[in-house]
Amino acid sequence: MKPSLSFQYLQVKRVMLFRLPFLMPLLVLFFVSCKSLKTAVFDQYSYQQAISIKVEGLSLMGDAAEAYVENEEDVRVFLLELDKIVEYEKNKPDNAVSYAMWQVVANEDRNLLAGFFKRWKDKGQLSNVFIDEAKLQVSESLDLIIKYEANKNKANKTNILNFLSAN
Amino acid sequence: MDIEELLKLLKDELLLVLGESYGDYKKEAKADIEAFLTLSKVKLERWTSLLQAGELTVEDYEWLLVSQKDLLILNALYQAGISKLRLGHLKNKIIKTIVNTVVTVVI
Repeated sequence: MKPSLSFQYLQVKRVMLFRLPFLMPLLVLFFVSCKSLKTAVFDQYSYQQAISIKVEGLSLMGDAAEAYVENEEDVRVFLLELDKIVEYEKNKPDNAVSYAMWQVVANEDRNLLAGFFKRWKDKGQLSNVFIDEAKLQVSESLDLIIKYEANKNKANKTNILNFLSAN
Repeated sequence: MDIEELLKLLKDELLLVLGESYGDYKKEAKADIEAFLTLSKVKLERWTSLLQAGELTVEDYEWLLVSQKDLLILNALYQAGISKLRLGHLKNKIIKTIVNTVVTVVI
């Protein structure tokens, strides 16, 4: 006689219950090994700040055909803003990639955003052709940071928004 | 100047220089150099023309080349981050499937 469907179901359930104690450590191991894959969720503040840094930074770079001393205060204020976002990204959990990207852009010994202002300071004034080419490089670098932030988990973002609107 | 000729010259020169210090990693170095030059070809062409025309100084040219190297570092970080995000999504799907299956069968 063929066993009934509910009997088969109960058998599967029994087998599963018997195997569960053996499966649990494996599941725990799986969860632990996945911990390194955790990435900070999409952050509206980081996204907005990255866009703001890009727009303001490129605008200020455009002034580098003028003497640095005339723009020193603007550069100082801008670099302070840049330091703030780097510090913000540094202290966000599971955010190693974004933080590393910001570090490259904000390192004055590298030739991107902060490096451009260092060169302007050292040279006093830069040529328009050089400024235009450097702006393309810096723009591309900040686009990568913005794109990466935009690619972060939107599902979690939606969950957070749902949670906030429900409470 | 023919850009293809310049790229070949640069590749040979870089391999020679890097080969002296990183002989053990010659294969990896070659791949890195090729990737750098391929991705930078259009810019190298433009910057070289501007240098020839005297619109960029040698120092400007060098600064831009280093900026391109830094941009490639940033791009590598971006790619690594995107792969990590994709693996994270995959992990979430695996967890969801395990939980759903276990819940269906056990409970």
